[in-house]
Amino acid sequence: MKGSVGIGLRRDIADEVLSSDIIHPDFIEFAPENWMGMGGYWNRIRQRAVEKYPVSCHGLSLSLGSPEELDWNFIKDLKVFLDENKVTVFSEHLSYTKSNNAHLYDLLPIPFREDAVDHVADRIKKVQDFLGRQIAIENVSYYTPVAAEMTESQFINSIVEKADCKLLLDVNNVYVNAFNHKYDAKVFIDQMPLDKVEYIHMAGHEQIEEDLIIDTHGKAIIDPVFDLFEYTIQKMHPVPVLLERDYNFEDLPAISAELEKLRSLIKNHWEAVHETSK
Amino acid sequence: MKLRSETAEIQELLGKYCRTGEEVALPGITEGRVHHYRRLVYNAVKNTMDQAFPITVASMEEEEWDKLVHEFFSKHPTTSTQIWKLPYEFYQYHLSAGTAGRLKKPYLNDLLYFEWAEIEIHTMPDKSIDPYTDKGDPLSDKLLLNPEYEIIRLEYPVHIQAVKGIELKKGSYFVLLYREPGTGHVKFLDLSILHAFILTRIFETGESVQSFKGEIAQLAQVESEKYLDNHLTDFVNNLIDRQMILGYRKV
Ligand SMILES: [Fe+2]
Repeated sequence: MKGSVGIGLRRDIADEVLSSDIIHPDFIEFAPENWMGMGGYWNRIRQRAVEKYPVSCHGLSLSLGSPEELDWNFIKDLKVFLDENKVTVFSEHLSYTKSNNAHLYDLLPIPFREDAVDHVADRIKKVQDFLGRQIAIENVSYYTPVAAEMTESQFINSIVEKADCKLLLDVNNVYVNAFNHKYDAKVFIDQMPLDKVEYIHMAGHEQIEEDLIIDTHGKAIIDPVFDLFEYTIQKMHPVPVLLERDYNFEDLPAISAELEKLRSLIKNHWEAVHETSK
Repeated sequence: MKLRSETAEIQELLGKYCRTGEEVALPGITEGRVHHYRRLVYNAVKNTMDQAFPITVASMEEEEWDKLVHEFFSKHPTTSTQIWKLPYEFYQYHLSAGTAGRLKKPYLNDLLYFEWAEIEIHTMPDKSIDPYTDKGDPLSDKLLLNPEYEIIRLEYPVHIQAVKGIELKKGSYFVLLYREPGTGHVKFLDLSILHAFILTRIFETGESVQSFKGEIAQLAQVESEKYLDNHLTDFVNNLIDRQMILGYRKV
């Protein structure tokens, strides 16, 4: 999977990903929550997808950042699902999606604080122990910090170190956060524990206010994000790269071209370096 | 727990705001930004409900519908880790909150349940299917039902007519919902109480229709055996065509 380029398996493009000539990912990613325990039509699609492609999974509801207890019944089901689908990389968000025992179905920002670092790292360790694998945690887009006592990069670094987990580096999220919170995206990349990166996300976003971008996964990747991607991959080892696209699938050839562009950037940097170092 | 109670409270405060939309005082936030979280969270829930309940949505004003979603999400702590299961919680919440009575929409519970049942049948885990053949006798042989089905009972015929005037049609209705084996599509059929009885009996006991024909005749109050045989044969063949009956059990 290293150096390969994948796409998220969404229902709207499942047919094309499985049988058309337009789109050729090397692997697919899906959210376990959207497919677990499901029979019928979508189950068959999932089975076909798993037969055709290597699979990575990107979780939605573990809620690693929540104050309340982990949901062990869910984690047990998750383990079965990951094993059944021969999932190579499993990742989750560095955020919380559950509060006061109610699910919220979106990614809320954890306060960047020392006690939260300890708490979240502990939970990641517990989940890793149970699943019997390291997980990759993703730097998420956030629109406001909440009661922060350290920087975002300190927060991410401390958690990855304490939990002994991997990092899913979402390059678009770095761009979005740098824009929204007025910092330098490249400096942020430099501060990341790049040796711990197991997986990269790339995506499009939407600027909705003069000073605010929302991470929508609904548009094409913009050039500055491709630039940041190029900057990033020159500094690290090859990993799988995933194009996240959640809706607006009308122009599939354009999406396919994005996959190709990612491939050619990877080829230029990762494969070239690999060749010369032989 | 390593998390300070102060940090936990701040997190819960943001969570509460996302659920209710009622403003809270959060420390250390960027002005004018936090409302996006409420918007994103609420939209995810609202879109899920819009997609799950299209007939219900079309049956009322948008504002009224929005209130139902808002009330559900702010008062009910959602337990589904999978958002596509949330419409069931929505149905359950409004059933126990007595919303149908409060809004003077007596058919509302049936409507929500019917729309949820369609999702439930579409997504239910695959069931194993016993061996069967397509050769047999509709009455004397044992039939194999498609196991991916449900018969629901409704007080209002929300499956056959729009809600206008439906209050006057209160009664007892049976609807068969099942998943077509090849396509995975959900089909539904209005059933008489007699047909509901027959299908349930076959499913529960595996008997042939012949073996409980006496009870059917009594229930249907039919004296002519020939008429009853024809009727039952048509019923079975029709359901075979529709793939609700898969065929005849292999002995
Ligand atoms: Fe991402």
